[in-house]
Amino acid sequence: MAIRERWAAVLAGLSLVLLPAALPGLNPNGLNLLAPARAEQPQAKKVLRISAIPDQKAEKLNRLYPLVAAELERQLGVPVVYVPVVDYTAAVTAFRTGDLDLVWFGGLTGVQARLQKPGALVLAQRDIDVAFHSIFIANTGSGLKPIRGVKGLAELKGKRFTFGSESSTSGRLMPQYFLAKGGVKLSDFAGGAPGFSGSHDTTIALVQSGAYDAGVVNEQVWRTSLHDGRANRAKVVAIWRTPGYPDYHWIGQPNLDQRFGKGFSRKLQGAIISWRTTNPQQKQILSLFGAQQFSKSSAANYKQIEQVGRQIGKIR
Amino acid sequence: MLAPAVVLIPVVALLPDLVHGGGFELLADFAQAAFSPSLDPLVVGSALSGLGLTVGIALLGWASSGVLGLGLALASSRQVWTTSCALRWPADLVRRLLALPRSIHELLWGLLLLQVVGLQPAVAIAAIAIPYGALVARVLSDQLDALPDGALAALRASGVPAPQALLTALGPPLLPGLLSYGGYRLECALRSATLLGVFGLGGLGTELKLCLQSLQFHELWTGLWLLLAVMLLLETSLAGLRRRWLMPRRLGLAGPSPGSASPGLATAPAQAPGSGRSPAQSAPADAGLGDADPARLRSQASRPAQPGLPNPLVPVAVPNDGLDVDAGPGGWALAAKTATLGRRGREMVLALGVLAPLLVWLARAMAVNPLALLSWQPLPNLGGASWASVLALPWPQLVGATLLLTLIAAGLAVGLAPLLLLLTAPWPWARPLLQLVWALARLWPPPLSALLLLLLLKPGLVTAALALGFHNLGILGRLLLEARDDNQAPAEAALLGAGVGPRLALFYGRFSSLARSYLAYGAYRADVMLRETVVVGLVGAAGLGSQLLESLSAFAWDQLLALMVVYALLTLLGEDLSDRARRQLLAPP
Repeated sequence: MAIRERWAAVLAGLSLVLLPAALPGLNPNGLNLLAPARAEQPQAKKVLRISAIPDQKAEKLNRLYPLVAAELERQLGVPVVYVPVVDYTAAVTAFRTGDLDLVWFGGLTGVQARLQKPGALVLAQRDIDVAFHSIFIANTGSGLKPIRGVKGLAELKGKRFTFGSESSTSGRLMPQYFLAKGGVKLSDFAGGAPGFSGSHDTTIALVQSGAYDAGVVNEQVWRTSLHDGRANRAKVVAIWRTPGYPDYHWIGQPNLDQRFGKGFSRKLQGAIISWRTTNPQQKQILSLFGAQQFSKSSAANYKQIEQVGRQIGKIR
Repeated sequence: MLAPAVVLIPVVALLPDLVHGGGFELLADFAQAAFSPSLDPLVVGSALSGLGLTVGIALLGWASSGVLGLGLALASSRQVWTTSCALRWPADLVRRLLALPRSIHELLWGLLLLQVVGLQPAVAIAAIAIPYGALVARVLSDQLDALPDGALAALRASGVPAPQALLTALGPPLLPGLLSYGGYRLECALRSATLLGVFGLGGLGTELKLCLQSLQFHELWTGLWLLLAVMLLLETSLAGLRRRWLMPRRLGLAGPSPGSASPGLATAPAQAPGSGRSPAQSAPADAGLGDADPARLRSQASRPAQPGLPNPLVPVAVPNDGLDVDAGPGGWALAAKTATLGRRGREMVLALGVLAPLLVWLARAMAVNPLALLSWQPLPNLGGASWASVLALPWPQLVGATLLLTLIAAGLAVGLAPLLLLLTAPWPWARPLLQLVWALARLWPPPLSALLLLLLLKPGLVTAALALGFHNLGILGRLLLEARDDNQAPAEAALLGAGVGPRLALFYGRFSSLARSYLAYGAYRADVMLRETVVVGLVGAAGLGSQLLESLSAFAWDQLLALMVVYALLTLLGEDLSDRARRQLLAPP
């Protein structure tokens, strides 16, 4: 009896002592997603938290945005951290609740964020975002052939079709707009509904594997995939390029100047548009963004997106 | 018992139409990766930290739900109110109010709290604590009210003040059921915490989702194997504790006995333990039935010692004998070895002593700040609600699809578990395999299996149902296996001896005695599945769940509100139906 009791006490003590060691990842800094956003908060006025909609593979985002954070930290002299988010909606929500200071939004999510946070600042966009394009892609085994105009999209009726994220501008909003122009309703696809793969990379992988006959992705991701060989031309081909529309942009919190000092948001904007391919770090960032350089942008550029968003019901 | 499996017929008939087979290559990659998970220290490290967070959320959410549930159970117990204030209506009022938090899935609570509070570690914990707390409250208050009130009346009559009398008379007999149920809730909490992660509330679920989305299967399996290890460890240690502390099992497998009727709210009539089994085994089978079977607790607590039982342990409702009431199971007298009693009490205190600092440490490590839940962010002002657009949603289709989804998933899960056991009965090697597949099914959050299924099947209702059914099959299958093993079936042995095949022997010898309680549990599970349909909305065309996610990404508050209300109504209705079904199933023939 007594022996068993002592044994139990020793065991309990041991487990208490060993637990912290047994869970090495469990320290306040290692608690991914949530902790960085909040842990900094108390002393936090000074940390710039940047994020981005997760439109591509997590590994690519994890390569790109820490670079951006480091470069901005160097340029601005304030600590900058990258906070990953799990989907487009979460990025918008976290921006509204003030958990993120500077976010790389798509056209639609940017408009959603600004509507939810009046006064939010549109800071910059890439050269390619002025007239961005989506590419409709198809599995070579699906029998789909390249099409000429928007009317040709009717070929997609009855096919298994996937968008990217529900809130993607180039992977859902504008494609849906063009599909409607071509007379295709969402219920016309096989299964009565399109899929939502979640990101452009996934769309390419799913269409290439044949899980879907066709899909639609953003042109920049498509080009990169062709370039680095992840998209196999023998299995997946482009069938149509949409007309241009404005897309991605950097949006900042309205209170950046109060928190980081007068003129901070101007400085931030200046830093982003100063990136050039002549600087090795900045060149790496720009090439991961698939751009030559960033330029100033303003809310007025996204009127068309807002209109289409309202039409489709993603903005209310 | 196999009747629900008829749903297989239409599903199988529809499958050829649904299969597109396009994703075979990817699926093969996925399966292969299971044998070569990534061992990159970075990947393992991030999986471990994710797992730590998930376990932390589960533990903290579970503990807060326990505290919350205990308090609310007292507040909604008729027995407590009548004893202390001679009033009954407040209990009924609290009970009604609790139906609402209970009817909303933890995922919805999580997403809602995320909107008003922002990205906070406390959000995921509260998302688990709120619905679980309400559920625990209901189960406990049902048990409380169904306890025999003789001891209480005696104490009150002899002038003991109400609080002490309640504690002394009701505490000890309540404890075993409470602990058994608590263990079960912890298992659920781990699954819920993983699921919340899939929707971006942090932890391993988030990593799993990101890996699957970028098709990094090797990294995915690293996380999966780790999670599986933790889940199995938790399940076995809880089962071990249950056995060690002689707590009641989940699924009461006794044949129904005539005569006793349940006084509890929407609960099943009593089942007296069948012959040849220890009372401890037949005692309050709760199984998170949304309501434990209080009458069983009563029958067990008030039964006199019976001679000739194989196990000498007989529970008798004796007054507390001076042990610490919170931890000491004073009400359980042991005929043979009284020593066990003290040991168990001390071990429980010890367990509590270990758990409490662990929880505090976890909360600190995760930087949980409960006060943050009170600092609400203003909701965006997006103009007035447009009720016309809410009305314009295709409600009948949405509700219809949701119900159909539930039915198919429930039929699959409830019907397949015994069918698979039967089919594999002759082969001894099939059992561990089945156990592994079921463990993976429990582990794998339904939205992820839905995403995987999409590699092979077209999106739609059946695909969603398969994902949901698969997950619940894992839960039901384990329960059935556990129940089958716990109870020796002389009938089966006799049939086997008489030269009947193993399948038939299992069917007639064992399943026949299990059928009613298993189906009763299945009815409860169906009601859980209805609540869970929200999580497979990802695959599209899956009723209210899909619409809900769509409305969420459009930030359409008015639609969201309406959808949640409809969901809550449906769930309450479903709960009522499944209660009735259960009562009927457990009723004496």
